[in-house]
Amino acid sequence: MRFIDASCRLGMPAAPGEGMPWKTEEILELMDRCHIEQAFAYHIVARDGEVEDGNGLLMEEIKKDSRLQPQWCAMPATFREFLHADALGDAMKKNGVKTLRIAPKGFAHSAMPYAMKELMDFAAQSRVPVFFDYGEAVGDALYDLCSAYPDVKFVVTNTAYALNRFLGPVLDACPNLYVGTGNYVPHQGLETFCRYYSADRLIFNTNLPFGSATAAVSLVCLANISKEEKEKIACGNMERLLSEVRL
Amino acid sequence: MNWEELVFEAKPFDGLLVLDVHGHIGAHRPFQLGAYSAAQVAQTATRMGVDAVCVSSLPSIVSDWKWGNEEVAQACRDFPGLILGYAVPNPYYEDCDIAPYLSMPGFRGIKVHGDMQGSLPLNDPRYFAAYELADKQRLPVLFHAWLPSEVAAATDVAKRYPNATIILGHSGMTARAAAVQAARECDNILIDTAISSTYDNAIEVLVDKVGADRVVYGSDISFFDCIHTMGKIALAKLSDTDKEKIFGLNAKELFRL
Repeated sequence: MRFIDASCRLGMPAAPGEGMPWKTEEILELMDRCHIEQAFAYHIVARDGEVEDGNGLLMEEIKKDSRLQPQWCAMPATFREFLHADALGDAMKKNGVKTLRIAPKGFAHSAMPYAMKELMDFAAQSRVPVFFDYGEAVGDALYDLCSAYPDVKFVVTNTAYALNRFLGPVLDACPNLYVGTGNYVPHQGLETFCRYYSADRLIFNTNLPFGSATAAVSLVCLANISKEEKEKIACGNMERLLSEVRL
Repeated sequence: MNWEELVFEAKPFDGLLVLDVHGHIGAHRPFQLGAYSAAQVAQTATRMGVDAVCVSSLPSIVSDWKWGNEEVAQACRDFPGLILGYAVPNPYYEDCDIAPYLSMPGFRGIKVHGDMQGSLPLNDPRYFAAYELADKQRLPVLFHAWLPSEVAAATDVAKRYPNATIILGHSGMTARAAAVQAARECDNILIDTAISSTYDNAIEVLVDKVGADRVVYGSDISFFDCIHTMGKIALAKLSDTDKEKIFGLNAKELFRL
């Protein structure tokens, strides 16, 4: 089975665990070991605040290997801290960027339309999938975000075991929400998810280097679901989302 | 053993002794486990070729100790050999006697979780009666060991009760270095692999520091699906011998199977 990692991170973490494989070369080695053909990565400098500089660092870093694909961090253009949507679209097209990552909590801005409309209108029109960690939109905020922009394909990553009672109703209400499998770890979690919401809404990712690629591929490969469902999760669904991008 | 084939071709881990030292059955209110019954744990264990999983009851930790321990006794009866049990003491009740459970079929040790019992330190004297049983019967005691204080308490207990074997659940989690130090200090301390969503290479680092003889497979099922950690160990950069010890050979000795 081949995998596409829909979201991982490159760059130097502030507090790496002992032996954490955060260097790009180490991540590439793990990709080999885990049969991951491609990985969409964002840069830690972009995630932690220097958005445009970090996205630039990312473009340099991914030159090391063609299997690495860019995932840019984005925020509203308020006070011209970030690119306006038109300029963002042009820059993404020029750099071959097909996915975005937002962090409203981390970047300390509202996720509501009065603050994010321009950026989200761009994502809807260009059909660029937008990734965010669950910690960026916890509880009701997850529903608020997904329901405010029904034409945007959102992928929530870095979920965990204590989430389903929030996640389920939002999945019911918002067909534009997809779930990254990287840390979706409940016992029989993927089986249960596929039964209620279908494998079409699960997107493989690792959360490397803080998440584990070996665990992430194991969660999919060893789940008690069909081969077809595994293939959709491993790569098919992400390929479908990417094929819809219009930049 | 072709470890890659086991994972990528989704084969049961048959032909390999797999003993999970860290499992749970039963519900705990804030955690959405979905599949927490003994039957569901047994179902996954059977499907994956796990030979046995030793469980404690979450209700025995967070609410009614007796009801929860009875739940485990029933699970041991329903799934003999496949489900093994930890008896859980509640230090707030003087009448809490877990000795009868330890003589029931299937029970193999004791589980303590002070964090969910009023944040009581695990070396509080009110736990000593349970540790004395473990010491006398040479049983394992699985510690919830997530914080530095819990690792420190486990070390204290290991020294006080040298005939008991202390398993540091979650490898100390936020106190990994302290857990390693504890294992180096005390021969009767083991470390389990229930390190939740921790990064790749964490298990390799543990083995490098304390040796594969001191690391045991624990999944934290049903908080986590056991396939998470099974795959992580299978695909780890460790020797076949080390993986076999971690997956089951170390626990076989521990559980006297």
